[in-house]
Amino acid sequence: MTQIKERYTLTQSQKMMVFILSMSLYGLSNMITELVPEVNVGPVNFSIEYFAFIPLTLCILFHPFYAAIGASFGEIIFGEIMLGQFSGFGEMEKLVIFTLAMYVAGIIVNNPKNRVQVGIAAVTGVVIHQFLNMVSDIAKVWIGVEDFEAVSGLPQSVVAIEGFSFLNDVLFSGILFALLPTLYLVPRLYGKIEPLLGMKPCDNKTKYPISGILKPRFILVGVLLSAAAMGFEFLSEAGIDIFEWEADFGSTAIWISLAVAAVVALITIIVLVTGKNKAKRGMANE
Amino acid sequence: MAAAKSFADKLSFEQIKIELLNTAYGNDRTLIAKLDPRTLFLWYAFFGIAPWFIHSRFILAGMLLFVIGTTIMTKVSRLIIFILILGLLGESGYLLIASLFFGGNLGIIIPLLVLTMKLSVISLASITAFCSMSPERLGEGLLRIGVPGQVSFSISYGYRMLPTLFEEYNHIFMSYRLRGKSPEKHGLFYFRTVIYFIKLAVKSFYPLLLSMAKRARTTVEALETKGGQYAFRNPAVKKLKLANLRIGKTDYFFLLISVLYLISIFISSHYVSF
Repeated sequence: MTQIKERYTLTQSQKMMVFILSMSLYGLSNMITELVPEVNVGPVNFSIEYFAFIPLTLCILFHPFYAAIGASFGEIIFGEIMLGQFSGFGEMEKLVIFTLAMYVAGIIVNNPKNRVQVGIAAVTGVVIHQFLNMVSDIAKVWIGVEDFEAVSGLPQSVVAIEGFSFLNDVLFSGILFALLPTLYLVPRLYGKIEPLLGMKPCDNKTKYPISGILKPRFILVGVLLSAAAMGFEFLSEAGIDIFEWEADFGSTAIWISLAVAAVVALITIIVLVTGKNKAKRGMANE
Repeated sequence: MAAAKSFADKLSFEQIKIELLNTAYGNDRTLIAKLDPRTLFLWYAFFGIAPWFIHSRFILAGMLLFVIGTTIMTKVSRLIIFILILGLLGESGYLLIASLFFGGNLGIIIPLLVLTMKLSVISLASITAFCSMSPERLGEGLLRIGVPGQVSFSISYGYRMLPTLFEEYNHIFMSYRLRGKSPEKHGLFYFRTVIYFIKLAVKSFYPLLLSMAKRARTTVEALETKGGQYAFRNPAVKKLKLANLRIGKTDYFFLLISVLYLISIFISSHYVSF
C-alpha cells in the first residue's frame, strides 16, 4: 500500500543497456552532424549543432543519469576519437557539462505523456548546455590570449560572438533539433522501447532517487573538478604575470610554466591512478 | 558550383565510411602506432597542457613544427586534417572580423595567430597520440591508467558497431526518400528542400532507436553470459588483459627525442627573440 512512490531502480545489466543504447545512437548522430556542412547567412550560422533530441528522449524515457552519461561518452567516442578530434582534457569539461544538462532535463519530467513537461525539459536541457558552453568558451579565449583586455575590441567581440552563438544555437538547434523532435518521439516511443530492454515503462508513480545519485563521492568529485578548473585558470593567469614581470630573466619564466605544466600532468596521472584504486575499494565495499 | 558538386560527391556516405574504417584500422603499422599507449598518454599530457602556459611565439612555433612532423608520421587520413583546418580557420576568422567590427585594428592578428597556434599544437598532438592508436590499444591504455572497464568496452564496441550503424541509418534514410515525395519546388534559398531533409534525418532515428534497443539488449546479454560485469571489476582479469602492454626501447627513444627537442627550442628561444 505504500508502493506509490516506489524507487525506480535498474539492475546492473539494465543500466548497461541504457548506457550502450544512448552511447551508440547519440554517437552516430554526432558523427552525422559533424559531417553535414553548415550554412552561414551573414553572421547567422545555420549549422546542425547537435541532435539533442536523442539524449533528451532517452533521458526522459529511461533513467536520466545513465542515458546522459552514455550520450556524453557516445559523443566523445564516435564524434571525437573516431574523427580524430579527441582533445584529451577538453573532453572532461564537455562530459561534465553535457551530462549535467541532460540529467537535469531528464529529472524534470515525471510523466512522459505530458507534452508540456517534455517541452519544458527539452528547452531547459539545451539552454543549460549552451549557456555553460558559452561561459567555458569565453574563458578559453581569456586564458589563451595574452593581455586579453589590452587587445582593443577583443573582449567585446568574444562576448558578442559567444553570446550570439548561444542565442543562435538555442533558437535554431534548440527548437528544430531538440524541442520538435523530442515532442514527436517521446509519446511514440513511450511504452514501446522499454520492453525491448526488458524493463517497465516508468510512469509518474516512480521517482528517481536524487539522493541515490548525489552520493558524497559524486558531490566530492564535482567539487574537485570545479576547483581544478578554477585552479587552472588561476595558474595560467599567474603564469602570464610571472612571464611579464620577469621578462628580462628570459627563460626562467618559461621553465616555471613548463614545470607547472609537468606538475599538472603528473597530478592528473596520479589522480587517475589513485581514483582507480579508490573505486576498486569502493566496489569491494559495496 | 561545379566544385561544390564534386566535393559533395566525394562526401558520400560510402566514402565517409571507408575513411572512418581507415582511421580506425588502417594505419597501425606506423612507428607511432607501435608505441605503448602509456607513452603516448604521457607525451600528450605535456603537449595538451603546456601550450596554454607558453606565450613565446618562438617556442610555440617550434612545438607546432614538431607536432606537424609527428602528425605526418602517423599517416592520418586527409578528411580529419581537412575538418581540423576548417574548424581552426573558421574560429579565428570570426574573431578577427568581429573585433575589427568593434573598432579593433589589425594588431589583433598577432594575438589571434598565437591563439590559433596554441590550439593547433594541442589538436595535432591529440591527432598524433590518439588517431594512430587502434581502438583496442586505446581501450587497453585507458584501462591501464585506471579508467573503468565499461569505458574501454564502449570504445571497442563503438568502433565495431559504427560501420553497421552508419549503414543501417543510411538504409532507413534512403528508404524514406524512396517512399516519400520530395518537395516540387526548392523554395526560397532551398528552404523547402532543407526542411524536408531535416525531417527525414530526424524521422530516420525512430526505427533506429527501436532496433538499437534490441541490439543493446543482445549485447548486454552476450556480455552477461561471459561474466562481463564481474570481469570489469576483477583485478586478475585486468592483469591478464593488459599483459601484452610493454614499454620498450622505441618508447624510451621517442620520449627522449621529444625531450631533447623541447630542451633545444627552449634554450634557443633564450637567444632568439621575435
